[in-house]
Amino acid sequence: MDRRGRTAFIVSFLAPAGLLYAVFVLWPFVQAIQFSMYRWRGLSMIRRFVGAENFVKLGKDDVFWQAVGHNLWLLVVGGLFVIVVSVAIAHAMRGGGTVSKLLRSVHLFPQVISLVAVAVMWQFVFNPQGLLNGALRAIGLGTLAQTWLGDPKWSLSAVGVAFVWYVAGFYIMLFAAGIQSIPADVFEAAELDGSRGFHRFRNLTWPLLWSVKRVAVAYLVINVLNIFALVYLMTRGGPDRKSEIMLTYLYEQAFVNSQFGYATAMAMGNFIVILLLSSLVLFAFRKDPTARRA
Amino acid sequence: MRRFLTGSVLVVFTLLVVMPLLWVLWSSLKAGDRILAEPWAFPKKLHWENYSNAWTTAGIGQTFLNSLVATVGTLVFLLPICAMAAYVLAKYPFKGSKLVQTIFMGQMMFPTFLVIVPLFFLLRDLHLYNNMPGLIVVYTAYSLSFTIFVLGGFFQALPNELMEAAMIDGCTHSGTFWKVMMPLVRPGLTVVGIFVGIGLWNEYNLALVLMTSPENRTLPLGIANLTMTQQYQSDWGALFAGLVIVMLPVLLIYWIFRDRIHQAMLAGAVKG
Repeated sequence: MDRRGRTAFIVSFLAPAGLLYAVFVLWPFVQAIQFSMYRWRGLSMIRRFVGAENFVKLGKDDVFWQAVGHNLWLLVVGGLFVIVVSVAIAHAMRGGGTVSKLLRSVHLFPQVISLVAVAVMWQFVFNPQGLLNGALRAIGLGTLAQTWLGDPKWSLSAVGVAFVWYVAGFYIMLFAAGIQSIPADVFEAAELDGSRGFHRFRNLTWPLLWSVKRVAVAYLVINVLNIFALVYLMTRGGPDRKSEIMLTYLYEQAFVNSQFGYATAMAMGNFIVILLLSSLVLFAFRKDPTARRA
Repeated sequence: MRRFLTGSVLVVFTLLVVMPLLWVLWSSLKAGDRILAEPWAFPKKLHWENYSNAWTTAGIGQTFLNSLVATVGTLVFLLPICAMAAYVLAKYPFKGSKLVQTIFMGQMMFPTFLVIVPLFFLLRDLHLYNNMPGLIVVYTAYSLSFTIFVLGGFFQALPNELMEAAMIDGCTHSGTFWKVMMPLVRPGLTVVGIFVGIGLWNEYNLALVLMTSPENRTLPLGIANLTMTQQYQSDWGALFAGLVIVMLPVLLIYWIFRDRIHQAMLAGAVKG
């Protein structure tokens, strides 16, 4: 093959994607690092290099740390919920049958519809006159009715419920594929040894799902720390910042208060938390316990 | 007993998934002021006018068209340029091609919010802020990594002999690509096109920051805006019709291609 034609071909085929990528992805990324070190307010072009000032300010910003706490709460409590529900459902779906066939075709519905629709829908479920309070009143538990999203005690949990509803299908799919990939003769052998039911699940299925668990937890970290639209549309972080999370606070600082330097430093903070937590996950799951036994 | 237990768990969970969606569907046909007044009641009379109100009066029709333009417009640019890049990276190894590939994957590693402020100013400086070409350019740029990654797998799977045979027959490098290789990855283009298309149809965060005037709003922005404007009239019929309008096309496409979407999601999740 002609050498020069080959080089020209490679360059011309990589150029369109490469140019777009360099200008609209790589360059803003470099600028983000730069912006986070500037004091820059309002739409004026006056920016001043201040080094780590924004990060120091971030460290002392109570609202930011409150938001980080809410993110972590959603990750631990919401994440635990997601894992338990999705493992249980994936396990129950294994048998087949009409219901599990039906569920298999609808369980990803929440995941493919618009997140805005999810948020608006759950806003109406939790509305003081909404679906949930309506149900509580209908079965005579009207005293339990709350303002949910308007109540500082409940707003974060309510958002968490919507989050679990939205993502569960994806994790069911992951675990269902994991369970399916366990060879049938492993189960048969366990059956012969008299291991069944919960005993078999705990000693056989759960450990064998190791690599799926790792993927699932890593995805949860990314998913939870990237929540924005759900909270922004359902509660705006309120009331009284009781459901504020990192990205809603960032959005407010950047596009309401025009604190562009500070908001970018916050975005860096968010990114660093994601990196730290995902390395922690990879570290925690560094050794495959089933590989040792084999 | 055990089977009964698993069965009921599955039934309850299926209801939890489907019920809210069905509620939106039947509420969209109720009189606007009845949706919250009697949340559990079925519509007494079918109020189809909610849909025409949503489409015209509430402006959902315009936002629907905007979303369609943004989604289709992005795919029209995205798919060919990603196929070209993925093909070269898969079949024409050169010095540093592994590095180029790694850099191309970089966007999937960081959250879009990290670059949202610089991106906002970049688009303003380029006069691409608050207009459709700008949104399409950004949507294309931020779909490159995933699309190149998926298409790369499809090109890798094609045997090199095919290329060589085409070249011997007198095809140029690019002729080989357009006439021989591109048609062979059609299944890959379909999967990635549907997958990315669904994501763009639903996209909210970038559109929220980059599209500010009402006439430029995409469908998710239009819906979010309706929840605020309709609040004062407590007439929710148009909003619920709008929710059905944003969800239905995606659910239909998902239903038709669900097996392939399933595979793509799993492949992306496990490898990525």
